[in-house]
Amino acid sequence: MTEQITQPEVKSLPRIGSKAPQFEAVTTHGKLKLEDYKGSWLVLFSHPADFTPVCTTEFIGFQNIYPQLREMNTELLGLSIDSVHSHIAWVRNIEQNWGVKIEFPVIADLSMDVAGKFGMIMPEESSTEASRAVFVMDPEQVVRAIIYYPLSTGRNMDEILRLITALQTTDEHGVATPADWKKGDRVIVPPSATQEGAAERMNDESLECKDFYFCTKELK
Amino acid sequence: MACVNETGALTESARKLLTVIRTEAKTVEDIAKEASLPLFKVRSSVRELAENDFLFEKEPAKYMVTFLGNKRLEAME
Repeated sequence: MTEQITQPEVKSLPRIGSKAPQFEAVTTHGKLKLEDYKGSWLVLFSHPADFTPVCTTEFIGFQNIYPQLREMNTELLGLSIDSVHSHIAWVRNIEQNWGVKIEFPVIADLSMDVAGKFGMIMPEESSTEASRAVFVMDPEQVVRAIIYYPLSTGRNMDEILRLITALQTTDEHGVATPADWKKGDRVIVPPSATQEGAAERMNDESLECKDFYFCTKELK
Repeated sequence: MACVNETGALTESARKLLTVIRTEAKTVEDIAKEASLPLFKVRSSVRELAENDFLFEKEPAKYMVTFLGNKRLEAME
């Protein structure tokens, strides 16, 4: 007689290019579903805990870039393993002490459901707090970029803005962006896949080519 | 519940949302534009307001305020 072996379910974390896992969560703005964000870019970020200094500086930083993000059709959604009342008390405290009103919703993920789906917990660092994870999703809710920082290090808001600008530029113009690229800099034209195309590329006066695989252009 | 406060009155965003669909059924996109609310907020609020019978889907994907929703709006005037 053969014994039936049940394989444990393998939970795959979101990867760049995969559809983000759907969720419904309690937030400081009421119950939200991920699908509510369809049609907008979304920055879903986690922080270890409310009422902690690094997270407070990050929340102020995220709020400071929120108006720019919204101009770029991008929403912000925070998350930590805290209650909604803790979140409310903390955002009120930030407003009282720093004069910054947090306008984006924050998920109260006490069950760790969302944090688990997105792999935001790093058990070796802390099994009760989320790490500093950032998931950038496009309007189709495809994960386009993932950033992880440890508990000790606050994130760079300019980099988050730069990343979204770069992703949107790539989608709009079919180009790539080089290291340290900023809006207005030259962009990289994807290399030709054929010998003939490579030769033509070298003669294209609208491009600046070091070699067939390294051509840049200005965006007008 | 995010659409009403502890006293049962509509929240400011719920009031704004219901006001723009008082006389005409509208899509969530139109509501977001007219009420100057983020689209995600309109989608979640529409879901919640419908669960509480403050609005209903009058035509496919177009929402309008109910009698109960209208009563709540009147109570705030």
